[in-house]
Amino acid sequence: MSTTISLGADESTGTWGRIRRTASRRTEGRGIVLLTFIIIMVALLEPLALTAYDVTLGRIALIGIVALGLTAVILMGELDLSVASTLAVAGVIMASIPDLALGIVAALVAGLVVGVINAFFVAVIGINSFIATLGTLFALRGLAFVLSNEAPVSLANKDAGIAFGQPLIGPLTPRILIFILVFIAIQLFVSRVRTGREFFAVGGNRQAARDAGIPVNKRIFTGFMISGFVAALAGVINTLERTTADPTAGSTVLLASFAAAIIGGNYLKGGRGSIIGTLIGAASLGILQVALTISGVQVPIQQIYIGVILLLAVTTDPTSLRAVRGSLRTFRQSRMKTPDG
Amino acid sequence: MTTTSSADIAIAATGISKRFGGALAVDDVSLRIAPGEIHSIVGENGAGKSTLMRVMAGIIESDSGSVEVFGTPVDPGTRAAIDAGIALVHQELSLVPEMTVAENILLGAFPTRFGFTRYKDLKEIAANALAEIGVSVDLDERVSRLSVALRQFVEIARAVARQPKVLILDEPTATLTPAETDYLLRMLSRLAEGGMAIAYISHRIPEVFEISSNVTILRDGRQVLTAPIADLTPQEVIDNMVGRELKEDLQTHRDATPGEVVLRATDIEAPRVNSVTLEVRAGEIVGLGGLVGAGRSELVRAIIGADNRTAGRVTLTRNGRSVTLSSYTSAVRNGVGYVPEERRTDGLALIMTVSDNIRLPNRQQLSRFGIKAPRKIAEFAQELADKVGLRPPEIEREAGQYSGGNQQKVVLAKWLGRRPDFMVLDEPTRGVDVGAKAEIHRLVKEMADNGTAVLVVSSDLPELLELSDVIHVMRDGRITGSLTREDATEQSVMTLAAGEAEAVA
Repeated sequence: MSTTISLGADESTGTWGRIRRTASRRTEGRGIVLLTFIIIMVALLEPLALTAYDVTLGRIALIGIVALGLTAVILMGELDLSVASTLAVAGVIMASIPDLALGIVAALVAGLVVGVINAFFVAVIGINSFIATLGTLFALRGLAFVLSNEAPVSLANKDAGIAFGQPLIGPLTPRILIFILVFIAIQLFVSRVRTGREFFAVGGNRQAARDAGIPVNKRIFTGFMISGFVAALAGVINTLERTTADPTAGSTVLLASFAAAIIGGNYLKGGRGSIIGTLIGAASLGILQVALTISGVQVPIQQIYIGVILLLAVTTDPTSLRAVRGSLRTFRQSRMKTPDG
Repeated sequence: MTTTSSADIAIAATGISKRFGGALAVDDVSLRIAPGEIHSIVGENGAGKSTLMRVMAGIIESDSGSVEVFGTPVDPGTRAAIDAGIALVHQELSLVPEMTVAENILLGAFPTRFGFTRYKDLKEIAANALAEIGVSVDLDERVSRLSVALRQFVEIARAVARQPKVLILDEPTATLTPAETDYLLRMLSRLAEGGMAIAYISHRIPEVFEISSNVTILRDGRQVLTAPIADLTPQEVIDNMVGRELKEDLQTHRDATPGEVVLRATDIEAPRVNSVTLEVRAGEIVGLGGLVGAGRSELVRAIIGADNRTAGRVTLTRNGRSVTLSSYTSAVRNGVGYVPEERRTDGLALIMTVSDNIRLPNRQQLSRFGIKAPRKIAEFAQELADKVGLRPPEIEREAGQYSGGNQQKVVLAKWLGRRPDFMVLDEPTRGVDVGAKAEIHRLVKEMADNGTAVLVVSSDLPELLELSDVIHVMRDGRITGSLTREDATEQSVMTLAAGEAEAVA
């Protein structure tokens, strides 16, 4: 009786084979290529964006923090469109409460509550997350205007805000430090903590996750709560830095954070991607924006660049590339050959 | 543990009934499996086997009846069933593609400390499970990069890793080659010798006779018979399954009179296909044999343009006019029909009605000035549904509500309506019950008799032999030999498929 069986596994060995296999398992490839490309271009054309790295890091943190929380939801194959509105509401709530600490706590709790509401509609009622969070997107934006009487709310404790904007360790402002902490926490959560790792199962094959006894609905609640909490945290940071809470805040955050997650190799249908990828995506966008701003490129033009890069990032995904090559070949063949007979 | 006899039975399901909508899927079925016993559950598609197994595994709750493991009642729910020691290997693969082999094996049961996964323990347990079933695979490999057969074994390793008292397998061999099946069956016998109780569902009667000690036959949700396998003959099992005398028309070939060459594929190159040339004539059925992974599906998909080919030329000739096929769209437009391997995902819109599914590829002939003509559609769909023997022949039902065999009939009906010049069928009867299989065979032969050139891919050797006028056998992306009807036997096809050295039947 034979004890082994050949089942057609990739048995390539040796260092190169191992490297190749490891690389093929990662999803950040195109993000890394893009980031390298942007850094080289910026170093050649507008090196100031790299020397003034505190500014650039601040920009990356601004774009990235919401994207990190969002990625937790995207990994499960869900979307959270309400992040920007959550950010605004959290800021307004915080500024409306005279006591600073209480305000911060209230804002963060609000973020968690938004997550619970979103997850309730998605997991319990069974509404598609695009629609559910589109609803909360509008409702929360409206709420931000109502709570603030349609005008920016000033922070009672302005000194705390001013102090918050100053570098804390070396050139690193609290915003950047918080961003790094959030990155480490979520990265650890989805890669090492069982609950977070199971997000991949929920996004990759929900039925399999259910059959294996994973409490899928609980995971969805956790994911949306992370996303809501991080969005609220971003709102708190913004409010502190600006010493006012603007009900219109975060209008560009939603799209930028989706862009960061997608450039970083996160698959919108879920189950595939990484937090590191999102970090790389945010870094690419941040450096690009700062460099373009320094070069005096107008914001609308910057948006065109971002759009082009987003499309480039998605079409250069290895699977898409193969498809593009194939289609081009078939297209050429069909042009060259004429029906005979 | 009590001393009653039920405590000596690994799993006892008593009086299980389950109703879906109006239909009774499982009707008062009782099953007892002792430790070390392999108990086969057979029946046609829709007989209630999978439902019964899913009830036993806690995935669906029964309307009445109870499940006990060694005399202890099992609460409803997946979790309770897993905790009680019941593990189910699903019919549809339930792995997470982007997670690693090790993570998939322990999905939902990661060993943790303070919530953090202990990857060392995780890998160790997974490695042990794989060692126990004698399969070697890289634990860090993502499942999406494994072959279908390997995924099936990972699935089994997952069940084994939980050290279950009861192992339920729902058609585990449907996607395996004969050699892999053989390996799996020996593995199951070994697990049973270790004291595991095994419930085994299969359509393949020889397998059932090879490994089981007892068999339960289900028909229309009812338990027709439970008996030691030694008391039955294969014919008796089949007769009890279908409830009618079924004459398996094996080896009853048509008298084919092939006409002109309809399809000519020259030097086809594609991923996993190496320079293949073949011809199919009008009225001829050409079979493609070989092991899973030999490149057969890839070849037919490259021929009809469903996947890109890197080189080669395909011409379709009809009524003396030739066209070169460059894309799937042009192929379909020029009279090519294709029934894919994955009918659930590629061949059928499950949430649409049978009538709509049939209408889709026949839009042009069913509309008047671009507007659909409902009466015409209904008549057309009904006629085809009757022709393929859809049961029940209700064309306004959703396709997804039908069993696998009936779904496949709908796919066939779709293409029959177009009277294709060249028809490709990839594993046309996989997972289909014996009765539906015979009907599908009849339809394929009829199609050829009406002048269609047919190309069939099948891993089911009797099927390949029954249908084909010529069999090309593939190995490693090449055609390694061609057999005429007279020369083709299961032995000769397997010899070519596996290569001389490993020619085992």
